[in-house]
Amino acid sequence: MTEKRLKRELGLLQTTMLGIGGAICAGVFVTLGYAATLAGTGLIIAMVLCGIINLFTMLSYAELGAAIPSAGGEYTFSKAAFGGFFSFATGWFEWISNMFYAAFSAVGFAYLLSYVIPQINVPLTAIITIAIFTAINVKGVSETGRTQTILVIILLGILGAFIAAGLWAGSGEGTSAVVTPQGFLGVLRASAFIFVVYLGGEAIAVAQAEIKNPGKTIPRAILLSCLALIVIYTLVTIVVFRVVSPSELAGKESPLAYVAERLTESMGLGSIGIGIITFAGITAALSSVNTSTMAHSRVAYALARDGYFPKRLFSVHGRFRTPHVAIILGAALTAAFAATGIVNFVAYATDFGFMIGFVFVNLSLIKLRRDKPNLARPFKVPLYPLTPLLGIATSLMLIFFLDAGTLFMGAQLFIFGLLAYYVRMISYEVGFSAIAGMNFGVSGFSAILGYLVVSDSLPVALTLETKWLVFAFAVIVSVSYLVAGLLFTTRRRKTRDE
Amino acid sequence: MVKARRIASTFIGGIQCVIGGFASALSFLIYINDQLRNMFSITFEEVYLIMFILLVFGMISILSGMLLVWEGNGG
Repeated sequence: MTEKRLKRELGLLQTTMLGIGGAICAGVFVTLGYAATLAGTGLIIAMVLCGIINLFTMLSYAELGAAIPSAGGEYTFSKAAFGGFFSFATGWFEWISNMFYAAFSAVGFAYLLSYVIPQINVPLTAIITIAIFTAINVKGVSETGRTQTILVIILLGILGAFIAAGLWAGSGEGTSAVVTPQGFLGVLRASAFIFVVYLGGEAIAVAQAEIKNPGKTIPRAILLSCLALIVIYTLVTIVVFRVVSPSELAGKESPLAYVAERLTESMGLGSIGIGIITFAGITAALSSVNTSTMAHSRVAYALARDGYFPKRLFSVHGRFRTPHVAIILGAALTAAFAATGIVNFVAYATDFGFMIGFVFVNLSLIKLRRDKPNLARPFKVPLYPLTPLLGIATSLMLIFFLDAGTLFMGAQLFIFGLLAYYVRMISYEVGFSAIAGMNFGVSGFSAILGYLVVSDSLPVALTLETKWLVFAFAVIVSVSYLVAGLLFTTRRRKTRDE
Repeated sequence: MVKARRIASTFIGGIQCVIGGFASALSFLIYINDQLRNMFSITFEEVYLIMFILLVFGMISILSGMLLVWEGNGG
C-alpha cells in the first residue's frame, strides 16, 4: 500500500489558510487580559518575541516538510530521523493533542453560540459540530481546504476591520508608549503565557501529503502564515493599548470583546463590538475544529502506515481519497471527549504535546542533516545549526513555564503512550506474562492497603463508613486480581501454527 | 474444566473492566467534586497524584479485563 493514493489538491492559498486558521483560536480572545497585567504595554514586544520564537521551529518544519512531504508531519520527520519509540511518542502526542484540541474548540464554539442562542444544549451542539466537520473531512481534502479558506477569510476580515477601526478611531485612555511594570522578566513571563496563540500552524506539515508542488508550496505557506500571524497579533495588541490601558484589561473574561465594545461606543455604534468579536470567536473555533480534525486523522493514518496503529486506519476512501476510517475513529473519540465535559480537564495537555513536538522536529532536523546530507532539500534553514538549537532551547524554556498540572497530564499521556507502544510491539506471550505480573502486583498492593485501612495505620482521617468502603473495595480488587493473575499464568500457550 | 475456566475468565474480566471504568470515572470526579475530596481527605495539592494513580490503575484494569473476556470467548 502506498500513500500516493491521497490526493494532492491543496494550493498555496489553501495551505497558508490552514496554517493561519490552525493558529488563530479562542486563545487570542481570552489571554490578552492576564498577559497585559504581566507585561503592561510591553505585551507588544512579547507578541513579536513569540512570533520570532515560533519562526525558529517553523523554519525546521519548512525544511523537513519540503524534503519529506509524506502524511504525518512531526511524526514522519522523527520516523525518518530516529524511528522506534522516539517517533511513536511524537506521533502519539500529536494524535492525542489534536483530538483534545478539536474537542476543546468544538465545546468553545458551542459555549460562544450559547451566548447568542441560550436555549441550545452545549455538549449536543459540540457533537453536531464535530459530525459536520467529520463529513466535510471525509468528503475530500479540497472541501476541507475550501471550508478553511472561507472561515479564515471571514476571521481575517473581522480582525482587519478591528485593526483598521482601532488605528483610525482608537484614541481612548490607552497609550502607544511601551511601559513594562515588571521589566523584561514580565515580558518573558507574558511570552510564555501567550505563546499558545501561535500554536497550530504546524497543521500544514500534517497535511503535506495532500499539498500540490510540496517542495515550493510547503516552505512558502509556512513562512507566509508565520509572518501573517506576527503582523496580525502585533497590530491587534497595538490597537488594544490605543483604546484601553493594561490595568483596565485585568480580570476581563474576554478582553478583546471589551476593547471592541469600547471602540464601537466611541464611534457611536453602541455595543455592536461585542457581537462582532463573539462572531469572530465562533469562526476561529470552527476553523480550529476543521484543522484539528484533518491533523489527527493524518497522524493516525501515518502511524497505521508504519504498523503502530491497526492497518485498518491506513485505508483511503475509494471515491473521496481521504483516510475516512482514521477521520471517523478520531472524530468518535473527539465527540466522546466533548460529550463528557472531560475536555476542559485535559485540554491543557495539548500545550505540552505541541511543545514536545517542537523539540522533536528541531532534533530531527539536526539528526537528518548529519545522517542524510544528500537528502534533496528544496528549502534549507538559514543560520544552521543556530536556528534549530534556538528552537529547542526556547521550546524547552516554554515547557518549564507550563503549570504543574499541565506537566503532570503530559507525563500521564507519555506513560499511556509507552504502554500502547509496548503492547503493540512485544509478542503476545511476553505481554500476557507482564499483565499477569501486574495483576499479582495490584492484588498484593490492595491486600496491604486493605489491612492498613482497617487497622487505622494510615495517616489519613477517614470516617467509619469511608474506611469500610475502602476496605471492601480493596478486598474485591485483591481477590479478583489474584484470580486474574492465576488465569493469565495458567493459560494454554498458543503455538505458531495456531 | 475448560468451560469453567472460560466462565471464570469472562466473569473476572468483566469485573476488572467495571473496576477500571469506575477508577477512571473516580479520578475525574475527584478533580471536579470538592465533597468527594473531603470524603477521602485529599488536599488539592494531592489531586494530580491521586488522579495519576487512578488513571494508570484504571487503564491496566480495563486492558487486563478485556484480554480476559477475549480469552473467555475463545480468543
